[in-house]
Amino acid sequence: MIIVTGASKGLGRAISDRLISKKIQVFGLARNVNNIPFPSMTCDVSSYENVKKVSRVLKKKGVIVEGLINAAGIASMNLAVTTPPSVSQNIVNINLLGTIYCCQLIAPLMLRNKTGTIINFSTIAVALGLKGESIYAASKAGVEGFTRSFAREMTDFNINVNCIAPGPIDTDLLKGISVAQIKKIVSQQIIPKQFTPDSISDLVELLLDKRSNSLSGQILHVGGV
Amino acid sequence: MSKLYNENLKAEIFGAIKNLIEDKSKDVTDDTKLIGDENLLDSMKLVELCLFLEDKAEDLGFEFDWTSEAAMSKSRSMFKTAGSLVNEFIDQMKRK
Repeated sequence: MIIVTGASKGLGRAISDRLISKKIQVFGLARNVNNIPFPSMTCDVSSYENVKKVSRVLKKKGVIVEGLINAAGIASMNLAVTTPPSVSQNIVNINLLGTIYCCQLIAPLMLRNKTGTIINFSTIAVALGLKGESIYAASKAGVEGFTRSFAREMTDFNINVNCIAPGPIDTDLLKGISVAQIKKIVSQQIIPKQFTPDSISDLVELLLDKRSNSLSGQILHVGGV
Repeated sequence: MSKLYNENLKAEIFGAIKNLIEDKSKDVTDDTKLIGDENLLDSMKLVELCLFLEDKAEDLGFEFDWTSEAAMSKSRSMFKTAGSLVNEFIDQMKRK
């Protein structure tokens, strides 16, 4: 079974739907699971206790966890100097600590089987140092650093850890960013094209495939930077 | 919890540590260092030991928390010696 965080909407939902369409079992985590039509559980990834509860339930049910996709995340475009501390904390708590907590608490379920795939999510904002996204970029830069080190910690257990760093993908996270801003960001990619949730799902499928087992600790930039 | 019960538990955990170490001629005692300069276990073996303790705790009806604050302190880490690990395991069992 593949655990997907942020499974109620956006990339998490698109990835879940794709995997389910390929007959892969998915267990979704989200703060609100009311509209999730597949097995799921309420979980705020920024709460260590919430994630621990999920881990306990999965273990108790004897679920064989083959993968973890940390798609839960939030964005807030603002200059750092005008960002309230509560917003900064929320961004770091969900994007960075949420990813760390899920890795810490779900990975042990994979360690026993000595196999698994973990996919984290960063953003093009890290590589490009986008203006107005400094706190968001900082939280995701943390995810990239964590991914590289955690990949080394997991390699003895045959668990691969990688990170996908998309450019602007058409999801709720882009709310508040103008078309002109999106075009400007996309123009800085090596492939200057706005990619879709489908492209991200393709990459997820690739990383879940055994044929990608030579990749770990990598940051995969969608569109290239 | 009787003293004998704890001694048996300790012997079982020491046995698990011995199974994980390369050099089978080495005896595991209270003072055997698990981490640090003269560490007996590499990171992979340490995690395997944690998984063993997690299973053992489940058999005994409690949850062994290997991410507790006691795992972090360099001077008082539960993983410092085989003895300190057994003590932490028994402490967590008593608190269940």
